[in-house]
Amino acid sequence: MEYVVQQIMNAFAFGAEYALLALGLAIVFSIMGLVNFAHGEMIAVGGYTMVAAAALAVQNPLIIIGAAIAVAMVASVSLERVAFRPVRYADPTTGLLTAFGVSIILQNIFLLVVSPRPIAVTSLYFLEWSLNIGGISVSSLQLFEAITTLLVIVLLMLFLKRTLLGLAMRAASLDFEMVRLSGVRANRVFAIAFMISGLLAGIACVFIMARRGAVDPHLGFDPVLKAFVACVVGGFGSLPGAVLGGFLLGAVEVAMLVMLPQNLGGMTDAFVFGIIALLLVWRPDGILSPPTEKGDKH
Amino acid sequence: MKLSRGMKRGFVGAAILSVVLIIIGLITSYFGSRYQIRLVYSTYVNLLVVLGLQVFMGNARITNLSHSAFMGIGAYAAAICVTPQNIKALSLPNAPWGLNAFSIDPISSALIAIAITGAVAFLVGLLIVRLSGIGATIVSLAFLVIVHTLFLYRTDIFKGNQAFFGIPQVFNLTSVVILAAIIVFAVRIFRESKVGVALRASADDEIGALSMGVDMYRLRLIAWVFSGMLLAVAGIAYAYFLGTISARPFYFNHVFLTLAMLIFGGMGTITGAVLGTFLISLGLEMVRWLETGPNILGVDLPEVLGLSGIALGAVIVFTMALRPRGIMGETEIEDLVLKN
Repeated sequence: MEYVVQQIMNAFAFGAEYALLALGLAIVFSIMGLVNFAHGEMIAVGGYTMVAAAALAVQNPLIIIGAAIAVAMVASVSLERVAFRPVRYADPTTGLLTAFGVSIILQNIFLLVVSPRPIAVTSLYFLEWSLNIGGISVSSLQLFEAITTLLVIVLLMLFLKRTLLGLAMRAASLDFEMVRLSGVRANRVFAIAFMISGLLAGIACVFIMARRGAVDPHLGFDPVLKAFVACVVGGFGSLPGAVLGGFLLGAVEVAMLVMLPQNLGGMTDAFVFGIIALLLVWRPDGILSPPTEKGDKH
Repeated sequence: MKLSRGMKRGFVGAAILSVVLIIIGLITSYFGSRYQIRLVYSTYVNLLVVLGLQVFMGNARITNLSHSAFMGIGAYAAAICVTPQNIKALSLPNAPWGLNAFSIDPISSALIAIAITGAVAFLVGLLIVRLSGIGATIVSLAFLVIVHTLFLYRTDIFKGNQAFFGIPQVFNLTSVVILAAIIVFAVRIFRESKVGVALRASADDEIGALSMGVDMYRLRLIAWVFSGMLLAVAGIAYAYFLGTISARPFYFNHVFLTLAMLIFGGMGTITGAVLGTFLISLGLEMVRWLETGPNILGVDLPEVLGLSGIALGAVIVFTMALRPRGIMGETEIEDLVLKN
């Protein structure tokens, strides 16, 4: 019983991480059509902020977490200003390749300015202890992660459904020109989208760092690749799809970790991607893809 | 048989490019030092990769990030076939399915490797061609990661990050130059063929092409498999020259190096692919020299690791921002020479 509950918690925690990142990718994509390959570098930026905080002898964990999230948000918004503005209305391939280039540049800047080797961050270890709920011990970190993710999803939904800016953003994903004609500033919509995306990456960063305890230039690559796959499975550009895809991926990954024999341990990701690929055979556009007709101007 | 106008011009363009490639090869083999010949060889191998990549990316206009994986599959398949038994008994003592108990000649090995890569490309292609552009790109990236994990974890077959040694070094600069000249023709003919034209049309206007009876998925699959086989050729050329391979060169760094070459030159044309490969190779060599911290005019520059990565990323970003279709755009070399 305990084993089963723990595995379910594992799946939920993995899924929560992927869902957070996938949401960040989807919100930018739905508005701007940009496949943001540089999303993973926002996680690394957050990680390096924690290193800097430790170097400055900041002790308060709340300040460290807050700083990491804030820097990830600022970095995300500034990337939009510096790198993605020239390709704002370009076709998706141009945007995708730009983001790919930006991601490479950032990774190499980390490598050049900081270090190619992992740097340990110990300030978040306090998040992890064993919790006993009804005789079953679970990891507090996983519990925090699951709760935070659910909270974030609810808040994001409230923001999108209940506020004027949220309404503008939802409208922007359908018809951006119309939104601009109604007097909403395009720059503001893009900035908010990237800010939310950076916020989600920053939150994910806190949990990734608490689990991993070290940051290196390629920190964001693996989780963001999974988040991308989650987006594709859920239907690229669909926010519910991103969440669904994220949790689905988490479940499949934990199932593979449990079921695969020891000697195939290193191949877990290959099996996960393989299963997801079969899902795409069934629905090439993803499970919750937005129903657009071919030829619709998007 | 009457050739279309595009095909005729294609032959002229491919001939010009081949002559240029052969001249560069000749100059290097007569005047180049050992190190320079190695460098030019790797440029030609990268050219084969970029040409293979162009077949799918240029015609179907879908970004592929898995090309280095196909190159790796080709290289490893040929290496496993061609390496003599006694060396394999030493390097792969635990290989399954009797992989270390046979060896065949280089040409048959190459053909088998191309066939295997083609088959893998076909299976992956069945999935890839049905996805929307972005989905296809992400799945190709996932495929790259899968293949890389396979190379790393099946050390009994691929030796992972250790060197797979003992491959007969049957290729030299001349062979790869000839190969490149032939493949320039092959990819140019493909571009101007019915398949190539229809594919480019469907990339321009999916609905329009579909309504004219173009079976886009089938054409994409043809281009994808052809691209995979050319990438296998590049991998084989790589293995047959160096004599040792490992998993590392078939991963990310190589993916974005060759991608930057194709994008910079312009992925729509063969001329762009060739130009981009040579310009980036040349530029990168200078950046690598800066990276080691040289002494310029009495000033000692510091060592800056990662500079080449930043330069490549910057090339991609600036090309996309300023000239998204690359240097050549849609202009092939014969457009500069011939009148209409």
